Amino acid sequence: MIELKGVTVRYPNGVVGLDDVSLTIPDGQFVVVVGLSGAGKSTLIRTINGLVPVTEGSLVVDGVEIAGASDKRLREVRSSIGMIFQSFNLVKRTSVMNNVMVGQMHDIPMWRSLFGAWTAEEKETAYRSLERVGIVEKAWTRASQLSGGQQQRVAIARALAQDPKVMLADEPVASLDPPTAQMVMKDLQRINRDLGITTLVNLHFLDLARQFGDRVVGMRAGKVVFDGTGAEADDAVFEDIYGRSLTADDVLPGQA
Amino acid sequence: MSAQTATTPATVRPPEPGKTRATVGAIVLVVLVIGSGFLSNADWKELPSIFTEGWKYLYLMVKGLVQNPFAEPYSEYWSQALGGMLESISMAWIGTLIGAALSVPMGFLAARNVSHPVVVQATRVVLNFIRTLPELIFAIILLLPIFGFGANAGALALGIGAVGTLGKLTAEALEGIDPGPVEAARAAGAPRSAILRWTYWSQVLPEVLAFWLYRFEINIRASAILGVIGAGGIGSVLSQAFRYREWDFIGILLFVIIAVTVIVDSISGAVRHRIIAGGGADVKDADAERVVM
Amino acid sequence: MTVASASPAVTARPRRPAPSRFLIVRLVVAALITVWAGWEIQFTLAPLFTDFANGWVVVEQFLRPNWSFLGSTWTAWLETVSIAIIASFFGVAVGLVLAYMASTVTNRSTRIYRATKWFLSVLRSLPDVAYVLIFVALVGVGSLAGILALFIFNIGIAAKLTAETIDAVDAGPLEAADASGAGTFARARWAVQPQILPNFLSYALYIFELNIRASVVIGYAGGGGIGQLIQVQFARFNYENVSAVVISMFVVVLLIDQLSQYLRRRLV
Repeated sequence: MIELKGVTVRYPNGVVGLDDVSLTIPDGQFVVVVGLSGAGKSTLIRTINGLVPVTEGSLVVDGVEIAGASDKRLREVRSSIGMIFQSFNLVKRTSVMNNVMVGQMHDIPMWRSLFGAWTAEEKETAYRSLERVGIVEKAWTRASQLSGGQQQRVAIARALAQDPKVMLADEPVASLDPPTAQMVMKDLQRINRDLGITTLVNLHFLDLARQFGDRVVGMRAGKVVFDGTGAEADDAVFEDIYGRSLTADDVLPGQA
Repeated sequence: MSAQTATTPATVRPPEPGKTRATVGAIVLVVLVIGSGFLSNADWKELPSIFTEGWKYLYLMVKGLVQNPFAEPYSEYWSQALGGMLESISMAWIGTLIGAALSVPMGFLAARNVSHPVVVQATRVVLNFIRTLPELIFAIILLLPIFGFGANAGALALGIGAVGTLGKLTAEALEGIDPGPVEAARAAGAPRSAILRWTYWSQVLPEVLAFWLYRFEINIRASAILGVIGAGGIGSVLSQAFRYREWDFIGILLFVIIAVTVIVDSISGAVRHRIIAGGGADVKDADAERVVM
Repeated sequence: MTVASASPAVTARPRRPAPSRFLIVRLVVAALITVWAGWEIQFTLAPLFTDFANGWVVVEQFLRPNWSFLGSTWTAWLETVSIAIIASFFGVAVGLVLAYMASTVTNRSTRIYRATKWFLSVLRSLPDVAYVLIFVALVGVGSLAGILALFIFNIGIAAKLTAETIDAVDAGPLEAADASGAGTFARARWAVQPQILPNFLSYALYIFELNIRASVVIGYAGGGGIGQLIQVQFARFNYENVSAVVISMFVVVLLIDQLSQYLRRRLV
């Protein structure tokens, strides 16, 4: 369970990322966070992971208080939270296998990590994660040789290799073409259903949000302005969240 | 996470690629290094004396540094050190200017998009020859017989040495310019000299200026090298001090070299940065510079 | 229709900006430094005309290289190459570790980062010849002094170049490693190192080349190898021999240049 109580995040330059946000996300839920860029979606996700420090309030992930936690504690918490990024964030010059291994680094001792001496067990975990996103045949390929969709699937496998309880995805399909975006969203949904991993996805396409979100959270200027089911989130709601009328850019091209 | 429940149809796992190449590479490298250890004729048993003797000398050097700099003989040491360093910087400055002046025509001659291929190749051979040989060689071969020992010969050697790298870098910068303005000038019927001056040279000027400054930083260090054969500057003073094992003097000399080099590097580095980046409040200024020079 | 009469001048023409005052100050400063520096080193080109004949006697000897002397130089060459290999290998290895400490990308401790930066700039501010002199005093004349001097010298260059590459690395994989709770060491090894490896290897080759080039200086100051041989021949006024060695040096450097260019192409 993820529980935010009056969380405020203020960046060193004075910008307020989150403004008194309170949210409770039960285990296994698939939540889509929507809002314009700069609305605080990214900050929300990064705060849950401890990548952005909490200025005020309390944030408990899986029974652990994130606000004010030590670096060591944060690393432990992060090891059970998978994260997926818009730009995939793979190391392009190394194999898919080594990229997936990054997800297990928190448990691998320094000397073995130095030489890349992975155990059979670690490799098994990596293979299984890759199998789950259907890309195991690329295990020893260089990440730079994969297409965008394949790279994002490797990134999901990397997060899965952590054996996470929570999965955070920051605009995971923004750099992908529409059919690939659908596929990646379906992968995320299936993983959520099969493994019961609590999933938070930032999106700005409202049709994808309605299609996949068990629950949709709308954000504007660092505040939660909508919290309901995908069905409840009609165009009027989105216009309210975005603070303007909808345009063609707000839906996935070729979908609406 | 359990794989048993995986819903995707299982594709075959690819075999792990072999590590033969990496292993062979590592073995070759190790053999090369150990072999070199023998072939270098190094007297490895002397190695521990760095630690046994080193502390002693370090102590003497630090002791020299903390003495009253206005009492004899330390006042003499300090003034010799600072005087030598000033001479080194002067050598480096004049050397850089000579190198810069000679490298501009060489750069144009060696740029593929400016000169005839035959000229380019010929110029590159000359530049490569200069680049290959250390300044020391120019000093001992060409200059000592004519100019004798001293800072003047040192500055000239640094100048010739600088032509190699500066000429090459200038040529590369010229080859990397945006061809658009060149085409435009040609289309407007501009004469060749005007094209070279206002499209080629204007485009590379900031970059070339930065190279010159960078070369100045390198030349300060190189001037110390030339001092060893008696070309003046801090290098000459330093090798004298080592000859007589005056560790307190050596300590002062090394301190002056480090301090002055760090200061000059940071000034030159900041200027280079401004020239290249233009940056914020300085943008207008940098543009003005480009127009005038 | 001419351009001049094309349209009525609506806006006033801007005046040509006066040259920036800072620029003038800078040019004057540069000119003053030049005059002062020229005076300081008693700059003159006069000997080129007055003493050219004296020099020409020497230059003439250089134009007649004694090729037969080269046969006896191969041990010195072997020594020079060996010195360069050992010094480059250990120099870049230590340099790599220091580079990780000298970049804010990989080093999370500001204090250690600053200390490393400071240490490296001190290390780099001394020229190679100063290190040779120091180590000759410590371990005596010979290859060991050359190896140690180049080793220290190489650390400075390798660490600086590599640290700059680390600074420019794609931050995405680092963020991903952080988000999965990877430790400082693991993220340096697996999120950064694969990205910088081709550059790092090419720096290592470059440093090896530099070491071969520096061998004249190293040997001259007492660090063994081909430079020591040049110094001895020069001191005995055997200019024909020096000339042959210098030309062989040019050939060796060119060969190593080609070899390392070939290796670099294969690595990247």
